[in-house]
Amino acid sequence: MTARYAVRDIWISWAGIAVVLAVWQAIATWGLINPAIFPGPFEVARAAVTLVPLERVLLHAGSSLTRIVWGFSLGAGLGIAIGVASGWYRGLGSVVRAPIELLRPIPPLAWIPMAIIWFGLGEPSKVFIIFLGAFFPVVTNAYKGMTGVDPDLFRAAQTLGLGGWRLLMHVALPASLPDVATGVRVGWSLSFGALVAAELIAADRGLGFMIMNARELGQIGVIMYGIMVIGALNFLTDWLIREALFRRRLRWHFAS
Amino acid sequence: MNQPAATPKIVVNGVSRQFPAADPERGLALQDINLTIGANEFVSVVGRSGCGKTTLLNLIAGLLRPTEGEVCIDGRRVEGPGPDRGMVFQHSALFPWLTAIENVEFGPRNLGVPRDRRRALARELIDLVRLRGFEDKYPRELSGGMKQRVAIARALATDPEILLMDEPFGALDELTRAEMQEELLRIWGARRKTVVFVTHSIMEAIYLSDRVVVLSPHPGRVRREVPIPMPRPRQRSSTEFMAYYEDIHGSIF
Amino acid sequence: MGAVTVAVLLVAWETAGRVGLLSAYHFPRPSRLAVTIWDLVVVGFPVGVTVWQHVGATIARIVQGYVLAAALAVPLGLVIGGVRALDQATAPVVTFARSVATISLLPLAVAWFGVGERSRVLLIAYGCFWVILTNVVEGVKSVDPELIRAGRMLGSTPRQVFTRVVLPASTPRIFAGMKVALGLAFMVIVGVEMIGTIKGLGALIMEARTFYRSDTAMVGMIFIALFGFALARLLDRLERVLLPWSTGLEAVER
Repeated sequence: MTARYAVRDIWISWAGIAVVLAVWQAIATWGLINPAIFPGPFEVARAAVTLVPLERVLLHAGSSLTRIVWGFSLGAGLGIAIGVASGWYRGLGSVVRAPIELLRPIPPLAWIPMAIIWFGLGEPSKVFIIFLGAFFPVVTNAYKGMTGVDPDLFRAAQTLGLGGWRLLMHVALPASLPDVATGVRVGWSLSFGALVAAELIAADRGLGFMIMNARELGQIGVIMYGIMVIGALNFLTDWLIREALFRRRLRWHFAS
Repeated sequence: MNQPAATPKIVVNGVSRQFPAADPERGLALQDINLTIGANEFVSVVGRSGCGKTTLLNLIAGLLRPTEGEVCIDGRRVEGPGPDRGMVFQHSALFPWLTAIENVEFGPRNLGVPRDRRRALARELIDLVRLRGFEDKYPRELSGGMKQRVAIARALATDPEILLMDEPFGALDELTRAEMQEELLRIWGARRKTVVFVTHSIMEAIYLSDRVVVLSPHPGRVRREVPIPMPRPRQRSSTEFMAYYEDIHGSIF
Repeated sequence: MGAVTVAVLLVAWETAGRVGLLSAYHFPRPSRLAVTIWDLVVVGFPVGVTVWQHVGATIARIVQGYVLAAALAVPLGLVIGGVRALDQATAPVVTFARSVATISLLPLAVAWFGVGERSRVLLIAYGCFWVILTNVVEGVKSVDPELIRAGRMLGSTPRQVFTRVVLPASTPRIFAGMKVALGLAFMVIVGVEMIGTIKGLGALIMEARTFYRSDTAMVGMIFIALFGFALARLLDRLERVLLPWSTGLEAVER
């Protein structure tokens, strides 16, 4: 694509965003939908500035991020470990695959009642739900990656003097990295959904709590603001993960 | 090099290979294969699909164990793969996460060759396969012919005395293929390796080899061994060449 | 081998419960769960609302939201995918809308539409809509240009190229998106059934916790998993019937 095309595309993209905002504002301004429950972008911005100080939002975002980082690291870490180990050792794989496959169709949110029964209403139950969101996609994709490595790569490495666990480190792991990365991204997005749900149910801080609280206060503008902050956070973190994982470590795998 | 050399480099001695299958007849890939390959000899193995050509190569590589018989290199029984035998695969099997030069360095790195030495060695091999300027490209950025050049350089990097090639040019277009055949002969001339070359193409086998081994399928057996004592470079259109072609073609069909 | 593992785990769980290693409240034994399943079928929980009513309510919500999303997203996606400028214009909005966690819209939906069925169905539709849309757009965009050229050389008009080449060629990806969307619907349904209703499997497990019935909550989870799994299989089957030529494709998950 030529540079001129790229510039034009950016303009079109901005125009798309502008049209959406304009239509949204128009509906609110002309009162097509009751403005009390459908504030326009300006009203949302005003609510954001006047009703919730920025440091409060940052505090909420901070506790949400802390939870998700804990749950996600545990889930992705354990998912990679089990996925890789069960893909490498066939015996282990045949033992752990069945229970994982049985538990996988249970949506993370459906664990909320049991999480509360097991861990109470505090932080551990929220971390557990987020953990589940990350664990299943990561373990499934890591296993898939490990078992899908081109056998010729192992043969090539063996004829070049590699054996044993060094085959795992230097061939199987790098070869399954693209699948692991996919699992990590899917896991991150599921973790995010689980985080919000966990915070809606029972929390006294976090972005999910912020919008739930705003609903009780009838502050629709703040709800919308909160939704957009959550969306933006998800978008940004996903972008960061993609940049960190896909562009650098996996440059060999993805289109330049 | 036109006569089978006096010192046997590779001896395949009464080798059979059975794969697990419901019907043992079908699972028998190779039966009682006897083959002696001399040092620096270039031997091609031809035959129809499924005649066990690749299995034979994998047995010599040590990637598979024979069910019966043994494979010996320099009189020592093959127990597993080793850097004394380099292998080139049909679809290159380059490590996609390593650049061209890193792929070449893979074997020396396994052997613990220090960084500077193996980098210098890899550069030399990259030059040998005429890929200077493409060292830092990833496999997906290379054409099919270039990938096979890297694969050959990688197989040569541990300085093996034997080069095992499994239809290395089978996936290339005809012009690239002819070019790669010249390259291979040039490298073979420069480095003096014993080459076992599996191919579908009878023309390719005659063009390259000192000797062509014809396998028959189900189960794989050695049907014929045809020495090709023609001087190189060979003319594909010569009557002698065509006579060999008709001869071998006839013994396959 | 897998069945053996599961059987061993179940027996270990049962035994650990019987000898008192696992508390009956935190880990109700498999035998207890079996009794609970029976109770749910004949008596129901809360009394009178049997498991079939829960399942029926959940499936009805999912189907309504899912069909609504597909009915809007497929035609829209075909248009967006076919017009480059439109794709460029909508891409950022679509990406952001997809990043918005569906569950976070719950308070807003309740404010707009109340705690009734409409909120639940619309939230499921929202979540599914963006996933399907993305995959339809991606499907249309990634049709092999050689196929389009082949269609033109064989005398298709531009409209025929679209209906006879582009549309069928993009169906595998559309189907892949539909499958991901179904999984998402099952995620969302549990969240949206947690408030304002006593019917539905999500409501069942939340109610069960309120009454300290961990056994019922677990059985509810089992039913959600079972029906999620069954519906996914149904889509697989449908795909094989409708697209026997397809080799299967992975969806764009993000």
